[in-house]
Order: sequence, then structure tokens, then C-alpha cells
Amino acid sequence: MLKKYKPFLRAGAIDTMAYRFNILIWAAITVCEVACMVFLWLAVYRSSAGGIDAEIHGFTYREMISYVVLTTIFNFVTYNNDTLWNINTDIKKGTIGNYLIKPISYRGKFSATSLGTLLTMTALFGLPLYTAALVTLGVLGFLPGLTFPAFFAHLGLFLLSGLCASLLNDTISYIFGVLCFYTSSGWGLNSLKVTLISFLSGTLLPIAFFPAGLREVLDWMPFAGMSQNPILILMMKYDLARSLGSVALSAAWIVVLELLAKFLFMHAVRKVTVQGG
Amino acid sequence: MRYVHLYFTCIKRSMISRLEYKKDTIVALFSFFFSNLCSLAALYFILQAIPTLAGYSLPEVGFFYGFSMIPIALDHLFSDEFWLVAYRRVKDGDMDMHFLRPVPVLFQVFAETFQPEGFGELILGAALITVCALNLTVTVTFGTVAALLVGAVFGAVIITSLKVAMAALAFVFKRSGPLLQVIYNFSAYAKYPLAIYPGLIRALLIFVLPFGLFISLPVDTLLYGTHNPWLLSLAIIGCSAVFFALAVWIWTLCERRYESTGS
Repeated sequence: MLKKYKPFLRAGAIDTMAYRFNILIWAAITVCEVACMVFLWLAVYRSSAGGIDAEIHGFTYREMISYVVLTTIFNFVTYNNDTLWNINTDIKKGTIGNYLIKPISYRGKFSATSLGTLLTMTALFGLPLYTAALVTLGVLGFLPGLTFPAFFAHLGLFLLSGLCASLLNDTISYIFGVLCFYTSSGWGLNSLKVTLISFLSGTLLPIAFFPAGLREVLDWMPFAGMSQNPILILMMKYDLARSLGSVALSAAWIVVLELLAKFLFMHAVRKVTVQGG
Repeated sequence: MRYVHLYFTCIKRSMISRLEYKKDTIVALFSFFFSNLCSLAALYFILQAIPTLAGYSLPEVGFFYGFSMIPIALDHLFSDEFWLVAYRRVKDGDMDMHFLRPVPVLFQVFAETFQPEGFGELILGAALITVCALNLTVTVTFGTVAALLVGAVFGAVIITSLKVAMAALAFVFKRSGPLLQVIYNFSAYAKYPLAIYPGLIRALLIFVLPFGLFISLPVDTLLYGTHNPWLLSLAIIGCSAVFFALAVWIWTLCERRYESTGS
């Protein structure tokens, strides 16, 4: 008699497990990726002219592994931005019309949402993950630059630069989202945005490894502030002056990019074609 | 013969629906090239700082990287639909139509999409191999070239089989996309020479998830003659036969567990 309820029991169990399972799988993927990078870097340092203990472009292999681990956590916590997809959906479904007649700013809605996501992610995942990583790496001696109590100033600046990074990412996502007005679909634009940021922000490789000319340009671009600089502030590879400079540069770029986004939206909104309803 | 005709009819229809968003397809193609260019640039910048990577020179490492793209591209062309099956289609109960048609479901899923993006990967991989090969001095024999071709074609069969088997699990667990992702991502390991990994990972990449077997070993054989190319080709073909048979078996078993959502 109870047999007919079995499917519901199973459905309930699967539903509950779904999110936990997703996080486990995400963790598995990330561990595999980080491990691959660690093996690559170990091989690089072992193959270098100075041997495993050499310093390449200002990084020892211990610092490089710390950099890879911390950047991975940073990206997980900071970049959960759905702005581009939401704009894309609004365009495709035609719901964009509803927002254009409401007395709230379309842009402001997204900033607020992404700020909320950042706070939740930092509290829920950021704190435990950063603590675990910093303690483990510190105990292993992988973070030789860390000194107390100066670390706390750096931690503060790191959180501030993380906030800037998240806002920069949201603005850039918004700009790419507005470009969907012209292409009518977001797949291509999204992958272009992800690639652009992961390469130019130093996520793939610290900018110190780039050729001199490119490096000098990137020092003045907003991208380094989105991943490399926050991590180097946290690792205390930057002194306080340089850390403050980096945060100031990010703040200036947020203003510039917001203005750009505003002008772009003013132009794009005339192109709206609502596809059915 | 009927199936060949059917396949092309289905593919033609899928291409027509793809033309809906022309501009985005162009952006997607551009971003695909750009993303590969970035990864390559990163690898190039790293190798600038060291004489060789675990004994492999810059063009040799580039050859590994380029060759790894070929079987992945071939698989990408024909079996992209399995991602959707694993992530969404079974969960949404969107497979009903396939079960109502008098053609095997597995065939229908293959015929659902053809991804021309795979050509971009194929061209880029071939170009990279060519550029790197011109900067290498290796004695090319008929056997080593045969081993590379076998690695590319039958390697694609192995990747597709892994995809089919993992996607089939969605019939049981409703959603197997993330699991497929974990397995698939291991292909990234085969972009670099196996020599950079510890023994356990190397064994895993040869005997369990054999990306190393059909990517790294044929290239090693070409560069340094580490293996007998004919035996290696035979091993790859045998391995792909086993993987394909297992995949079809798992798919047939799991397919029976499909439940429609009834909506």
C-alpha cells in the first residue's frame, strides 16, 4: 500500500541532495583543476635554471601555489554574477519593457543584487575557505611574506579590493549584457567576457610573467584589480602604499566604466526589439 | 543507409535553427579563438622563463597542446547534445519525443546536433601542430603518423563513449551533467606531457581515464620513439572498442529507467 508513495520519497531525497551534491561536484572539479596547475608549476620550477627553489618573476614555487589556491577561492566567492544572463533573459522574453516603465534604475537593481550575493558568499564560503587556506599555507611555510600585526591592515584592504573587484565585474557584465541588445543572444558575449577577464586579470597567470610592454599597459587597466592585485595584497606581496594605489585605481575605473555603461545603455535602449511576449 | 539519410536530414534542421542568432554565433566563434589564444599565450609566457619543461622544448610542448585539441574537436562536432541530456533534458522530461519514434534513442540524440564550432578547434589544433612540427627535428615514420591518426580518431570515440555513459546516468539520477563535467575536465591534464605528473596520476591517465593513452603516448612516440607505434595503435583501438561497447550497454540499461514528467 505504501509502495505508491515510494517515488515521492525518492524525489524528496533527491531534491534535498541536489544542492549538496552540486557543491561536492564543484569541489571535485576545482580540486582537479588546482592539482593540474600545481603539477604544472612544480614541473616549471623543477625545470628552471635555478632549480626548484628558484624565484621566477618574483615568485617562489611556494608563493605560486599559494597564489593559485587563493585566486581560485577569490573567483568562487567574488564572481557569481548573473547580470549578463538576466539582461539577456529580459531581452529575449521581452520583460525588459516592464523595467523601463518602473521608477527604479535598471542598473541599480543589478548592483544591489550582486552586492547581496557578494556579502552572502563572503560570509558563507569566503570566511571559512580563506581561513582554512591561509592557515594551511601559512603553517606549511608557503606564505613567507606574512607578518603580524601588519597583516590585519592588508586584510582590510583585501576585503575592500574584493568589493571593488565585484563591482568592476558587475559593471563589465552589465556592459556586455547591454551589448546583447545588439546580438540578441548572450552565449558568445558571455564567453568573451569570461576569457577576457580571466586572462587580463592575472587569474590564468600572474601579470609579472607577461612581456614588458603588455605588462605596463595592464598595470593601468581595470583588470588586474579584479583578481591579481587583491590576492597579492592578501599575500603581502604589495606594501601598504601599493595596495592603496591599487584600490584607488579600481575605484576610479568603477566610475569611468559606470559612465560608459550609462551612455551605452542610452544608445542601446533605442534598439530594443521585444520578441513576442 | 536509411540512417545515413536520416542523420543528414536531422542535422540540416539543426543547422537551420542555429542560424537564428547569427551575430552571436560570430561572437562565439571569435571568443573561442581568443580563449585558446590566451591559454597558449599563458603557456608561452611560462615557458619563456625556463629552458625546457621536464625536458620538453617549447615546440614539443606546443605539439602536445595542439594534438590534444584534435580528438576533443572531433568529439565536439558530433556529440554535443549529450551535455544537454546530462544537464537538462532528462530532468525536464524533454526526451518523450525520442521514445515515440521507431529509431533507437541513442541514434536520435546523436542526430540532434552538429556543432560546427568543432571545426574551429580542429583548425586551430592542426595549425598549432604544423607550426610546432616545422620547428622540430624528428624522423617521421609511417608508423608514428599512423599512431597519431589512430589516437585522434579512436581517441574521439573514447571521449564520446565516456560522454554517452555519463549522460546515460541521467536516466537514473535525473541529472548527471556535473559528473560528466568532472570526467571530461580530466582531458585538460593531457594538454601537457605526462612527465610532469606523479606516477599515480600518470597511471590514472593511461589505464582509467585514458586521455594520456591516446594523446600523450602517440606524441611521445613521435618525438622520442618511446613505444612501438603499431602496438600502441592496437591498444588504442582495443581500448576504444571496449569503451564504446560499455557505453552502449550502459545507455541501453539506463534508458529503460526514463520517466516522463507527464506534462
